[in-house]
Amino acid sequence: MISLVRAEVLKLRTTRVFFGLCAAVAAFTILGVVAGILTAGNSGSPALGSAASARNIFGSGGTAGIFALVLGILAVTGEIRHGAITQTFLVTPRRPRVVVAKLIAMVVAAGALGLLASVITVAVAWPWLAAKDVGVSLLSSDVGAVMLLGIAGTALFGVIGVGVGALVRNQVAAIVGALVWEFVLENILVGVVPSVGKWLPGAAARGLTRETLQNGSLLPAWGAALVLVAYCLAFSIAGAQLLIRRDVT
Amino acid sequence: MTDVIEVRGLVKRFGSVVAVGDLSFAIQSGTVTGFLGPNGAGKTTTLRALLGLVNPTSGTATVFGQPYRKLQDPSRRIGAALEASGFHPGRRAIDHLRIAALAAGIATARARGALAEVGMEPAAERRVGGFSLGMRQRLALAGALLGQPEVLVLDEPANGLDPEGIHWMRGFLRSYADQGGTVLISSHVLSEVAQTVDHVVIVAGGRLVASATLAELTDRTSGGTVRLRSEQAETLRDALVARGATAALADADAVVVTGSDARDVGRMVADTGVPVFEMTTDGSNLEDVFLQLTSSDVGQP
Repeated sequence: MISLVRAEVLKLRTTRVFFGLCAAVAAFTILGVVAGILTAGNSGSPALGSAASARNIFGSGGTAGIFALVLGILAVTGEIRHGAITQTFLVTPRRPRVVVAKLIAMVVAAGALGLLASVITVAVAWPWLAAKDVGVSLLSSDVGAVMLLGIAGTALFGVIGVGVGALVRNQVAAIVGALVWEFVLENILVGVVPSVGKWLPGAAARGLTRETLQNGSLLPAWGAALVLVAYCLAFSIAGAQLLIRRDVT
Repeated sequence: MTDVIEVRGLVKRFGSVVAVGDLSFAIQSGTVTGFLGPNGAGKTTTLRALLGLVNPTSGTATVFGQPYRKLQDPSRRIGAALEASGFHPGRRAIDHLRIAALAAGIATARARGALAEVGMEPAAERRVGGFSLGMRQRLALAGALLGQPEVLVLDEPANGLDPEGIHWMRGFLRSYADQGGTVLISSHVLSEVAQTVDHVVIVAGGRLVASATLAELTDRTSGGTVRLRSEQAETLRDALVARGATAALADADAVVVTGSDARDVGRMVADTGVPVFEMTTDGSNLEDVFLQLTSSDVGQP
């Protein structure tokens, strides 16, 4: 099983997709931190030094989640699209083992994306805030816990992506569908019916890291974590069933 | 000899389309078998069912007496190269094999060895996206060879190969078979594999139409044509007809004899005493038998 997981990790490492997504995560995280610090205290956003502001800035890595989702989708649909899944199942005909290895590998890879986002966040925000004489403790629940939860949330989004990819199978449809859902449909639902919207995956991920920002409209961290884990299980189990049973033609 | 591969009563339907209808055949250890049939005959579906990729609607397909999915260490026992397109275009050839090796529990150093065996070592560090179809075929074959298996299943391996590549593939399969390996190789062109195989399993419309040794199939071609060239073609024709042969002038200096085998024609020619400067049997007859067997109206029982 360990070598199967290593094979799946090697798959992710040997195409440019993973590194491209790393670059995207780095860019978006830096943008988020810079915007977070520059806009703090302006037009209603919490002032630097407040707990809410710290969450806002140190939760910037939350954008890694969407890239983890894309990574998960690409990991499955790429294999289907290029026919590499044939080779995978020829080498390991016991398909459940392949699926489990893929999910574990995705926790590792998507977790790495989340970790990258956290490292960049700290590298940019910490010295900058120190220069502004804003005291920040990395061990405080508003900083350390937010980042750890952000990494966990990113890993979970990677797993959801694997499930979505296995269910949709078509690469373009899966990615476009997932992005439209996250950026358009879910935002509309969250805005129009917040009582329903807060249970959706994107809002749950924000609940994990930024609960004080929009208190009440998001689930508490523990609730958000449970909801995300539930999405993870639902998508990965449904997707796994399909991967295990379907003909590979 | 034991059956390495056994397909029994295999049926596979995709919706309302019957890809394979009640197909049975067996492959013995140490043979090189051509799995032949026109495009759409159900060859690929049969191979995919055999390799656990496709679930049969009914019937069984086993290797070493058990379903492929139940095999321990399948890569070390049976190597398969199913399609030339099964690679991520952004991945280097060597990485593709390393991944397969890792998943199969084979030392990743073996990846380079397998590439060398198919003459692809110089392209090891190149991304597969830039490969020709022939190079993909070789890479797929390298993947099949990773575990140094005793059985190879190759689906249309000659597709996309240039004449030099086909020549190489023939030589490769011959040496693999000489070392005791068993090969099942599919093709829609009999002549492509006729020099390599000793058995043929011919399917058409998802059904078995022939399972025989190549020699048995060749026997069915007796009654083919023999072409003779002579400076006295007309005299030769008349002399042959006088001896009961069916002969006709094909050219100013050529006579075609039908319905007799080459041995008999040779004897008759010697008997006539007419000098002949060329004698050829028409090799396309094996192909004719193949076409007859697989054309839709003859394929029915």
